[in-house]
Amino acid sequence: MVVLALRAGVLGQLVRVSLLLTMPIAVSVVLVSVFTRAGTTVLFAIGPFDATVEGVDFAAQTLVRLFAISLSIGLFLMTTDPRAFVFDLERRGVSPRVAFVAVATIEAVPALVERAGVIGESQRARGLDTEGSVRARLRGVLPLIGPVIIGALTDVEERSLALESRAFSRPGRRHLLWAMPDRTWERWLRWALIALLVATAAARISGRI
Amino acid sequence: MLGLHGVGYRYAGYAGPVLHDIDLTLADGEIVGVVGANESGKSTLSLVASGLAPGSIGGGLSGTLTIDGVDMAGRPLHEFSTRVGIGFQNPATQLSGVTGSVFEEVALGPMNLGLPTRETVERTKAALATLGIDQLAEREPRRLSGGQAQLVVIASLLAMRPAHLVLDEPTAQLDPEGTRLVGEALRGLAATGTALLIVEHKTDLLDGLCSRIVVLDAGRIVRDGPADDVLADPRLDDWGVDPPSRIRLGRALAMRDLDPALIAGVVGS
Amino acid sequence: MTHLALEGVGFVYPDGTRALSEVDLTVTPGEVVAIVGQNGSGKSTLVRQLDGLLRPTEGRVLHDGVDIAGIRVAALAAKVGIVFQNPDRQIFAGRVRTEVEFGPRILGRSANEAAEAATAALAAVGLTELADANPYDLGFSRRKLLTLASVLAMGTQVVVLDEPTTGQDARGVARIQRVVEAIATAGRTVIAISHDMRFVAETFTRVVVMGAGRVLLDGSPADVFAESAWPTLASTYLEPPLAARVGARLGLGPTPTEVSLVEALVEARG
Repeated sequence: MVVLALRAGVLGQLVRVSLLLTMPIAVSVVLVSVFTRAGTTVLFAIGPFDATVEGVDFAAQTLVRLFAISLSIGLFLMTTDPRAFVFDLERRGVSPRVAFVAVATIEAVPALVERAGVIGESQRARGLDTEGSVRARLRGVLPLIGPVIIGALTDVEERSLALESRAFSRPGRRHLLWAMPDRTWERWLRWALIALLVATAAARISGRI
Repeated sequence: MLGLHGVGYRYAGYAGPVLHDIDLTLADGEIVGVVGANESGKSTLSLVASGLAPGSIGGGLSGTLTIDGVDMAGRPLHEFSTRVGIGFQNPATQLSGVTGSVFEEVALGPMNLGLPTRETVERTKAALATLGIDQLAEREPRRLSGGQAQLVVIASLLAMRPAHLVLDEPTAQLDPEGTRLVGEALRGLAATGTALLIVEHKTDLLDGLCSRIVVLDAGRIVRDGPADDVLADPRLDDWGVDPPSRIRLGRALAMRDLDPALIAGVVGS
Repeated sequence: MTHLALEGVGFVYPDGTRALSEVDLTVTPGEVVAIVGQNGSGKSTLVRQLDGLLRPTEGRVLHDGVDIAGIRVAALAAKVGIVFQNPDRQIFAGRVRTEVEFGPRILGRSANEAAEAATAALAAVGLTELADANPYDLGFSRRKLLTLASVLAMGTQVVVLDEPTTGQDARGVARIQRVVEAIATAGRTVIAISHDMRFVAETFTRVVVMGAGRVLLDGSPADVFAESAWPTLASTYLEPPLAARVGARLGLGPTPTEVSLVEALVEARG
């Protein structure tokens, strides 16, 4: 994974984002497992809580797992164009509607953030205090949420009308303009990885049971 | 030929109809302007003519809508899209938001039709060429100016090869440069034989572009005639429509016993 | 009375895009000023400096001689009210009257005062009969008038309008013209961004032309629509109103409005 990220030129960014994402969970996991996990070898004690070797061991394992999961999800999002991913899904037989909803959802996030910014501006211009006390800010939530939701809904309505005018609701398959470049070694690598995954899972299950 | 015959329309959840007894035909290659005060039913008329009302948004339609003599009642929406395209005010909400280039955006419609790739590509190129925006093909749709984005929207509709195009205030949200771009494109479109129904407040834009103009007032057609006659109709003000600058100015001159022909050389230059 | 001044204001967005350069602008109480220019010329960025929504990266913005740096937007909003372009980015209440009362209430007025202000503001924009309607049952043009009422009700000394005539028919434009005149008559200031050159020439006494983040022209409609200014207007894709073009063609000098053109013609004829 590190090699892949390095090749894609996103290693630094990937590690930063993954650390940032896992940090809040990591802190609680460490606190809870180090001090509350039952163990025989006590390292040190703070008040009624004993830190045990078993706890530290468990915490380290969990952290590595968490970090691995967040690294792989992060790597996927950073290196895969959501559009390419979804068009490829469609090529593999996923319905165009499902594919569209998937891309539109991913692509809608920046638009939503931008809209929230504009709405925030117009309410602040009406005297809504977003820089003041917590109470003042809470009072300002409704005038922000309402337009965000209503605006998003009307945009969706307009967009769906515009799409209808471009035969979006026509049933049946489409001939896609783009094919994902899919080289032979990539296909082999994919199968090999799937095989490895199955083998690992099988080994874990048989080893445990 | 697109025809509305005795058409009335009521939005879902509303008591009264918004359109009453509309008789309107749009002949092949004809360019018709629709004017009227706010809430006079112009946008509703666009939705009905393109089949979106009631096809997509529901509501109750009375009378008949025919395209090339075929009654379109109950036809699925995608059948409309190859016969009549509809464009709206805001280019941002009409772009699909799922494509990475203008070329892909314009190709989306033909692709939805299930056309072979070769034809999709050919139609896309032709639509971009018709509007003179070939050079935008590789650009990212969301990074275009308002005027450019609106041209891409119109190209996306053209790629469906409809014989009729309905445009609901296509320049309302554009700056003067964008308005000029779209105005020129509409003039160019007129030459391709596509019939256009254009809803607009800016009568200056319709002046010289349309052969016929229809005036709506409170959901009824109150005037339908040659563009020059309708734009010079003294009742336009009563219907909440601003006459084109050249007409208003001509009137102001005539009121002071000045020759309206004084302005003739300036208009259109 | 609030006296506005921008001194050498420049603004660069966090992504590095420069939107304003060396803008000097003074607006005195009772002035009605139009700001014109193509999209991206810096008009919207400029008006956002006036109530602190955006803070200058160079230069300073003064209200009555006091630098507003460090003063909260919520406090500045009591002096400068902005009506934004898109009503759907603002309206949140389920009732027209509630929406209009929101501004005055948040500025600390009593319920009675807010209700009175709302009644007057709704009357000014012609929405009195729709006071109890749901804003989302109104068409686009009326929702826009509603946002205008919402800011009018705040009673700010400066009212900023961003593209007020978008989507308005002839009656709507005339109504907005009357509102602008009424605000000016009360000695308050109006600053409006507009693409509609006829509306600008007929409604405002001062026009500021922006291009690439700079003030290109600043003067009366007669000045900025005079033939000598046309090349500058063309550089930001603006076209003078028809009356100005006719007046120039006939050698009558600057005639930015239909009224001034007809007057010039009558005078020329003797």
